[in-house]
Amino acid sequence: MSWCSCSRRPLAAVVAGGLSLGLVACGGVTDGAVGGGDYPAEPITLTVGQEPGGSTDLIARALAEGAQDAFGVSMPVENQPGANGAIATQQVANQNPDGYELTLLNSTLITTTAQVVPEEEAVSMDDLDVIMGLSRDDYIMVANADTGYESVEDVEADSGDISYGTAGIGTGSQLAQLLLFEEAGIEGNEVPFDSGAPALTAVMGGQVDVATVQVGEAMPQIEAGTATPLVIFSDERNEHLEDVPTAVEEGYDIPVAQYRAVAMPADAPEDVKDTLREGFEEIAATEDYQGFNDENYLTPEEISGEEVEEQWTGMADEYAQRIEENGLDLGGEDA
Amino acid sequence: MDFTPVIQGFEVLLEPENLVFCLIGVIAGMAIGVLPGLGPAATIAILLPLTYSMDPIPSIIMLAGIFYGGSYGSTVTAVLLKLPGETSSAVTALEGYPLAQKGQAGKALGVGAVSSFVGGTVSIVVLTLVAQAIAGFALEFGPPEYTALTLLGIMLVATIGNGSKLKALAAAAVGLLLATIGRDAFTGELRYTAGNLELTDGLQFVPIAMGVFGLAEILHNLERRRNATSMPVATDRVLPSKSTMQESAGSIGRGGVLGFLLGLLPGGGATVSAMASYGIEKRLGKGKTKTPFGRGAIQGVAGPETANSAAATSSFVPLLTLGIPANATMAVMFSALLIQGITPGPQLMTTDPDLVWGVINSMYLGNMVLLILAIPLIGLFVRILYVRTAILSPIIVLIVCIGAFTISNRIFEVMVVIVFGVLGYLMKKYGFDPAPLVLAFVLGSLLEDNFRRSLLMFDGDVTRVTGHPIAMTLLGVFLLVVLVPIVVKLVKSRRPDLIGGVPTGVSAKGDDGSDGADRGAGNANGGDSDGPDHAVDARTGSGSGDGPSSPGGSDRT
Repeated sequence: MSWCSCSRRPLAAVVAGGLSLGLVACGGVTDGAVGGGDYPAEPITLTVGQEPGGSTDLIARALAEGAQDAFGVSMPVENQPGANGAIATQQVANQNPDGYELTLLNSTLITTTAQVVPEEEAVSMDDLDVIMGLSRDDYIMVANADTGYESVEDVEADSGDISYGTAGIGTGSQLAQLLLFEEAGIEGNEVPFDSGAPALTAVMGGQVDVATVQVGEAMPQIEAGTATPLVIFSDERNEHLEDVPTAVEEGYDIPVAQYRAVAMPADAPEDVKDTLREGFEEIAATEDYQGFNDENYLTPEEISGEEVEEQWTGMADEYAQRIEENGLDLGGEDA
Repeated sequence: MDFTPVIQGFEVLLEPENLVFCLIGVIAGMAIGVLPGLGPAATIAILLPLTYSMDPIPSIIMLAGIFYGGSYGSTVTAVLLKLPGETSSAVTALEGYPLAQKGQAGKALGVGAVSSFVGGTVSIVVLTLVAQAIAGFALEFGPPEYTALTLLGIMLVATIGNGSKLKALAAAAVGLLLATIGRDAFTGELRYTAGNLELTDGLQFVPIAMGVFGLAEILHNLERRRNATSMPVATDRVLPSKSTMQESAGSIGRGGVLGFLLGLLPGGGATVSAMASYGIEKRLGKGKTKTPFGRGAIQGVAGPETANSAAATSSFVPLLTLGIPANATMAVMFSALLIQGITPGPQLMTTDPDLVWGVINSMYLGNMVLLILAIPLIGLFVRILYVRTAILSPIIVLIVCIGAFTISNRIFEVMVVIVFGVLGYLMKKYGFDPAPLVLAFVLGSLLEDNFRRSLLMFDGDVTRVTGHPIAMTLLGVFLLVVLVPIVVKLVKSRRPDLIGGVPTGVSAKGDDGSDGADRGAGNANGGDSDGPDHAVDARTGSGSGDGPSSPGGSDRT
């Protein structure tokens, strides 16, 4: 057996390996529609700090779908999961602000996670320029249908005997639920899970009585009647769940939600930022993207970068204050 | 039960579009499975935008095909190169790779393909009959149940190592410690991260496995110099012979049941299934198999392969009947359904029977395609082994590095592979089997998280576990498996006449069905390694410490 005929396999494997890389950089080949050194002349990378398939990733991919039309170049989505997005965000913040490196930001990384991690790990808005806000993803507290709970008062009545699931340390889910329980004087056992889905599963299996998860996760169970929605933690009702009151309406001033925005390294040239803003506005106006928001129960929050920075910084300060006032322990060294 | 929707599901499947996408999915899955690194969950997520413009049924059929096709594909590299691309195939490498080294790669892959086919197909049939009835089982499995299950799993892992019991335990202990790296999920404290942000989420399984198995193997082979072309590649048949199938039948049956049941569980059941199957086969088969475990026992390929394929299929049950994603891939599938405007939930079977049964029935076809594709492809894959080490090794290293990088687009994971490759090489050189390390690593975080979660649920009161019948049963089994051999050995050593056995430590013959040579070798290895080159090869499947205090050393329960 001569080796040359046999080596075809490994060669094929290498070729296939290249293919799989190609998959990652999906659409890495451009048609060079824009010439003359004008921005953008090459693909724009959109880095996501979460696993592929999560809601943040899906939003990024929905945006990237429209990039070819809006910018004339493709927009490969690159996942760099780790530390709740801190790794990806810091990586992007250290790049040149030339407009070819963007990231999809989760507000809880700035507003909530920052409360539980050591200072050097916390991500600051100062290192980034926000291009525009995208949408709001609400947190909702649900109960196992068998508990018979239909409102926060019902839960209050069983105070002391409640166990509640959260999506983990330093998440909006944990913050919202802890604040609510503290303000309502409800006592119970906090059981953190790795993410929203297992927390919801524990509610359905009766391992915990209630849990706070994102609306998109809870919706199938709410529609099927296996989980009862109790309260939504944003400042206004969710249009998909008009009957569910907000925490604010119930008398607890706890506006916690997951907001998302596109950002780039700080100090970007104005014209690059303008091009990007116009492009993303164009994508946001497409029917495909709007349909995507709707199917994933996301509420559009397409505000300017300045407004996002103001909003998120405000939230971070408010949360810090509320955590201190209520003497909450979210965990972590600095909490 | 009304079978009309099931039959309609076949009609749906037979639409040309659905057939084509089933094929595409399975083939893409297999190709991606063969390459280590990028797993099925990531692949599906990346291909998700392609499905935006497709109809729901073909797109879900295709994505499902990628999932179970990938689970078979990763067997190929696990067997040929000891390079597992996924948790489940790590176990297949334990017996499959020794087989490949003996020139029986075709046999290993052939049995793997047939086992996967049987596991998958039987699982679909059972799923069709009882899906709705058993869906609730998944919900019964909370943190206390998982704690008990994982305990049982770790106990099985203790028996997986070949060679010195003490060294296996040491490796497992290191695996458990490695699992503690990263942010504590309950207090938010950082543990053993040395201030490195990259370690915040802890280490990942795939780079560790690629390192201590695949890369370590290459380093080890390099030491043997250039003569490594003499890899004994026999032209062995791919389609398993009748006698091979007879040997494997029991393992396939047990693996199928185990895989189906564990696959139903949300949060890692499928991961445990291949390991559990291997542990059970090793216990049952000790001294009875033609080839001892650790040297290429075909049962150790057949059982886990059936289990992981059955589990891959049954993990669709919680998603389709309850709307619960049982693992990372199902979570992406959940999103895929949402994007298609379909809400996966308890009502899905009633509102979208075409989709549910179309997808389920497509798996028959997919499994068939995999088998038909696999048999001729195995002949080609096996030829990788003909390539000279000097040419093959650098190529594999390159693929490993690319694979590691694609996991999270970070060079950090490549570093992890290299560090663990060196570690695995040193372990091999000094007679430590890396398998217990890798498997304990997987189970370690499951155990810790679920145990602590249980304690929180119980308000710190351990006795409240008595209110959980499934957990109690599992704990009972755990105690039985640990205690019975100890008691038996104690009784035997005191009253040899009663049992008809011979006191332990004097002779190993005939007392418990394990053959003497097997046990003798196990003891010899207990001393120390016998030359670096053949440290592992020389080891037998035994590893039976004779001390009554080591549960793993028991042969019979």
